[in-house]
Amino acid sequence: MKRRQGWLFFIIFLLTLSVYLLINYPLQLGLDLQGGSQLTLQIIKEEGKVTREELEAVNSVIDKRVNNLGVSESNLQTLGVDQLILELPGEQNPLVASRVLGKTALLEFRTQKEGTSLDLKTLQLQRFSIKELIEKYSNAEKSQYDDNFLKVIQDDLKEIEQELNYSSTSNDFYGKLIEIKKYVDKEITNLFIKTDLSGRDLINAGRRQEQTNSNWEVLLTFSTSGGEKFAEITKSIAGTNQLLAIILDGESISEASVGNQFANTGITGGSATISGNFTAENARELEVQLKGGSLPLPIEIVETNTIGALLGSKNILKSLYAAISGLIFVGIFMIFNYRILGFVSVLSLVLYGFFNLALYSLIPVTLTLPGISGLILSIGMAVDANILIFERIREELYYGNTLTRSIDSGFQRANSSIVDGHITTLLSCFVLFLLGTNFVKGFAATLGIGVLISLFTSLNCSKTILRFFITYQSLRQKNLYLPRTNFSN
Amino acid sequence: MNYNLELIKNKKKIIGFSTFLILLSLLGILYSSFNTSYKKPINLGMDFVGGSELRIERVCEAECSNFSSDSVLKNLSEISKNKKVLNNIKLQFQNNNKLISIRTPYLSIEESNNLISNLDNIVGPLNYESKDSRLIGPKLGKRLLTNCVTSLLVSLFAISLYITIRFDKKYAFFALLALFHDLLIVFGIFSWFGIILSVEVNSLFAVSLLTIAGYSVNDTVVIFDRIRENLKSNKEGYNETIQLSVNESFRRTTFTSITTLIPLLSIILFGSYSLFWFSLSLSLGIIVGSYSSILLAPSLLLKD
Repeated sequence: MKRRQGWLFFIIFLLTLSVYLLINYPLQLGLDLQGGSQLTLQIIKEEGKVTREELEAVNSVIDKRVNNLGVSESNLQTLGVDQLILELPGEQNPLVASRVLGKTALLEFRTQKEGTSLDLKTLQLQRFSIKELIEKYSNAEKSQYDDNFLKVIQDDLKEIEQELNYSSTSNDFYGKLIEIKKYVDKEITNLFIKTDLSGRDLINAGRRQEQTNSNWEVLLTFSTSGGEKFAEITKSIAGTNQLLAIILDGESISEASVGNQFANTGITGGSATISGNFTAENARELEVQLKGGSLPLPIEIVETNTIGALLGSKNILKSLYAAISGLIFVGIFMIFNYRILGFVSVLSLVLYGFFNLALYSLIPVTLTLPGISGLILSIGMAVDANILIFERIREELYYGNTLTRSIDSGFQRANSSIVDGHITTLLSCFVLFLLGTNFVKGFAATLGIGVLISLFTSLNCSKTILRFFITYQSLRQKNLYLPRTNFSN
Repeated sequence: MNYNLELIKNKKKIIGFSTFLILLSLLGILYSSFNTSYKKPINLGMDFVGGSELRIERVCEAECSNFSSDSVLKNLSEISKNKKVLNNIKLQFQNNNKLISIRTPYLSIEESNNLISNLDNIVGPLNYESKDSRLIGPKLGKRLLTNCVTSLLVSLFAISLYITIRFDKKYAFFALLALFHDLLIVFGIFSWFGIILSVEVNSLFAVSLLTIAGYSVNDTVVIFDRIRENLKSNKEGYNETIQLSVNESFRRTTFTSITTLIPLLSIILFGSYSLFWFSLSLSLGIIVGSYSSILLAPSLLLKD
């Protein structure tokens, strides 16, 4: 009896602790319950698998960019071996984030192929005229423009297309312009050969205004090995008519020659300048992207979920209704069939609920819709153990044993099949948690935690409560335990 | 105690009934694989094939005015710059015209925002706080599918291993047979749902199958435990002991199923729509699982 009382105090202690935890550490709600956006970013790698280092590198770059965006309370985590999940709570438009994140800011240094000087000059001219066209058109779109103006730039466009021997496929005019610009950029890039120097070799970036005019330039600082690579590369083309191109996301932003004086050592000192007619704004953007680091591998947004705040709070309400009505009806069913025993199981169910929620805030488990359904489902499973025990107790009583003995052997004999039976569910949860996606993990976590806690509440808590009850003489009548059964003795 | 299921007499009927259900499921799976537009054993939803789903509510003063989805689509195609979005679009009004639900192939965030703002011009004003949008790229979908199938196989393997260690061969074999029977029937029912009601299955369906697997084996284990225990004391014949054990466990198994079905039913009735089919497939699994644990698995153990 003494030991049981110890348990009773222990349970009361746990309950108090749970309530304390729940008050002081509120539950974390998933985006489907509080509203917000969730973006899944997929790292694209053509060949081979994404290594852990690459994943971490992408993760840190995205993290820096998100911080630079000024998004509040965002949450970034890796998923599996080559995915990232970015959560933006509240009514934040995922579009802005997607624009900045989608940019690789992949910085490359390339050297020009020999004997392509003439091709490059032509392409540079074409790039210049297409840029001009784009600028003209976007300026004109803001104000009113007449058909005559449109006709003029359309003719210009046709001319460029003919020169390039390329016909665009876009439907609208602006799309055509962008498409051709991309084509020209690609053609220019193709005139250059990749080197092993890239944005990964940068340790810093900065910007400053050029001395001769009002344009801005961006300063690059290489790591030691990057500086060596840069010297090596510049040495190889110094004094030739091959140019060095600095390419950002497939678009060459600067092509420069390396003077003959560097033929012996290359450009040393570990730094370089990009001067490509930057405005103050452009220079800052590039600086931020380069500081955050270029993504070592391109990423693609493969999934976007957006849930309005109103829908989120509706989801909470609905889940609450479902959980509470589920609890109440299970309670009614149990009390109807098992009387006092049923009441005991209701009490241990309530304990079960508190322990579960407290553990969620302790671990912490972020509560999502599938997570809640796991919790609600586990209510049914938690009662299962009680039913197994109570059926045994009924049997023992039926065979004429005393109440205390029946309860003891009921718990004892049901023990093994309860533990065994829960193992299969736990196995499923374990696999789900290991292999599942984010949402599925939520379900597996709550169901798994539920099954484990139910072992404690249905074995230990209900036994303790029941033992406490039968210390009262008035609660010891057998017919309170066995409805609608005739006793032979 | 109070129950007297005549398992021995009805063995043939039970096995016949299960065979019938399995054939019906296989028929649905075959029909679905060859005779539907999607040509898959089951109607895979956008979780697995990619696509976009947008749901948003309108702001209406009293009752929401009536629109036909055809006229809305026609208006949409007039004002949309990006015609690509409108290929293969499905648009529905629900909840007395209040809720608009749209399905399209995969859209980028920008495209979906444009679609919604165009829609706002036609049937607006819209309540953006009630928006629910899911955009899933086809690449991710394929991955999710492989992921789900792997999870299912791995966990079935783990359960089989556990059962084989836990019981001797015969018991393990029949417990697993009952498990596959349950999963096949639930799968078949959803194949039929897909054919008749165009219900799609998403990753939560795979989760429900996994949960059913754990649950169904749990039920069977409890009954087999009882049979083993009673066979040790061996008061009556082999077949009679099995029948007795089933009757002794009958209350427990049905009660457990009921207490698990009650919360599921409350999710179906009160819960969020996204959990509706999930809860339904779990409920079906639990019903079929109890049937196979009480009647089918023990009947298979009976000697002729």
